[in-house]
Amino acid sequence: MSASPDTKQTSAVTVRDIYLPPERKKVSGGGVPHVSAKNFSIYYGDFEAVKKVSADILSKYVTAIIGPSGCGKSTFLRSINRMNDLIPNCHTTGSLMFDSQDVYGKFTDEVLLRKKIGMVFQKPNPFPKSIFDNIAYGPRLHGIRDKKTLAGIVEKSLRKAALWDEVCDRLDKNALGMSGGQQQRLCFARTLAVEPEILLLDEPTSALDPKATAKIEDLIQELRGSYTIMIVTHNMQQASRISDSTMFFYEGVLVEHASTAQLFTNPKDQMTEDYITGRFS
Amino acid sequence: MSERPVHEYIRELSRALVQLSEKVLSNFDAALEAVRHQDVEAARKIRRADDEINLAEVRLEEQCLAFLALQQPVARDLRTIVTIIKINDDLERIGDLAVHIIERMPELGSEIMDRYEFDRMGQVAGDMVRKSIDAFVKRDRHLADEVCKSDEQVDTMHRLVFRQVAEVMKKDGSNTEQLLAVLSVSRYIERMADHATRIALEVIYQVTGEIVRHSDDAFEKLIQSLRD
Repeated sequence: MSASPDTKQTSAVTVRDIYLPPERKKVSGGGVPHVSAKNFSIYYGDFEAVKKVSADILSKYVTAIIGPSGCGKSTFLRSINRMNDLIPNCHTTGSLMFDSQDVYGKFTDEVLLRKKIGMVFQKPNPFPKSIFDNIAYGPRLHGIRDKKTLAGIVEKSLRKAALWDEVCDRLDKNALGMSGGQQQRLCFARTLAVEPEILLLDEPTSALDPKATAKIEDLIQELRGSYTIMIVTHNMQQASRISDSTMFFYEGVLVEHASTAQLFTNPKDQMTEDYITGRFS
Repeated sequence: MSERPVHEYIRELSRALVQLSEKVLSNFDAALEAVRHQDVEAARKIRRADDEINLAEVRLEEQCLAFLALQQPVARDLRTIVTIIKINDDLERIGDLAVHIIERMPELGSEIMDRYEFDRMGQVAGDMVRKSIDAFVKRDRHLADEVCKSDEQVDTMHRLVFRQVAEVMKKDGSNTEQLLAVLSVSRYIERMADHATRIALEVIYQVTGEIVRHSDDAFEKLIQSLRD
């Protein structure tokens, strides 16, 4: 007699699972430094926007970056896949490693780098094309032409982004006709289509309503364990809900980097404490 | 550092907790006094005051839960609210102990209260509660540590009562019911001191973020008390 699904489920639960909230389970094969910054500074002209940051971002976990506006958190995030290269006069010092690759090394191909380190922005920005073409855009750019292969990638990516069930019967419709929340998940799917290792999320829910926000947060939890995720957010509750570790930036300085549970219950730095409890002047 | 209305609200909740502690302590003192004077009217008042304490406890807990849900505090604010919820619970239980004491009134009287030094024991335990609440208000870890240390003093007094009662019980014709009441009252006062110690430990969490409730030290203390 085969075991019922219920029995199977019960036997799979360990004591450890009971004590750890499900979304904070240990990730197998994760937890090694995926991105390592050492004395890493970013300048806009003479202005040092990010000051000598040293930190390890652990693979397959979610790292939240918080801090007041202008503290350098987005600048730091965008430096990881060299999006800041597009800004004139922006340069860096120190080292930033992605695995064993020097992100700002002479021989680094930033197009390939951005394939491995994808990004989702604050405002959903689908191309004015069909849903299918939005997802297939990246793979095509990287040379995949076979229609069956592309269709497979589109379905897989939309499923990963928890969007497939909602759009599978209208893949040929223009992506701009989707709701804001759907468009943002489409952007996730588009990023996932080129099989990145790291996802950089720059306030991905700040333009969304609570329901769409919840879907994106659930999606981040789904993707945790498969991708290294870094998220910049102004929403402190969001950071505490979805991340494993949190970095607090202030005026370009990484003030504190600790496990999210630690940082939100007993931060070590007074400045962090003042910021997260809203006592900042 | 700028203060916001939410921090003023946390202070209001803290003030409500302090008020509750004052009510609880005066009811506990009144209970010992009522037993001494066999004052039935005072006993009724204590019973009614405990109803008020229970209502205040529920109200404060509701306010704290609403605050957690609506404001989602973190760090120091979170620890303070959690500490208020826990101290609130301890105070309500101390309130119940006062009622348990007056329930033992028929078997006791001033002579018994003097013989077993219940007033002094109550005084020490009451001071522990006062000090622990003071430690909460001042966020004073050292004061909290002092409260924890005082617990031993009350435990010793309780053990002394226990031994005295055991001696009397060995004699023929001892008033068993009265002796059991004596043991109960001693136990109630000792439990009040335990609650004061718990409050102090909660204050240590509030101040340091460290949960020290089940430290090895506590276990050693238990072993020591068994040896005594």
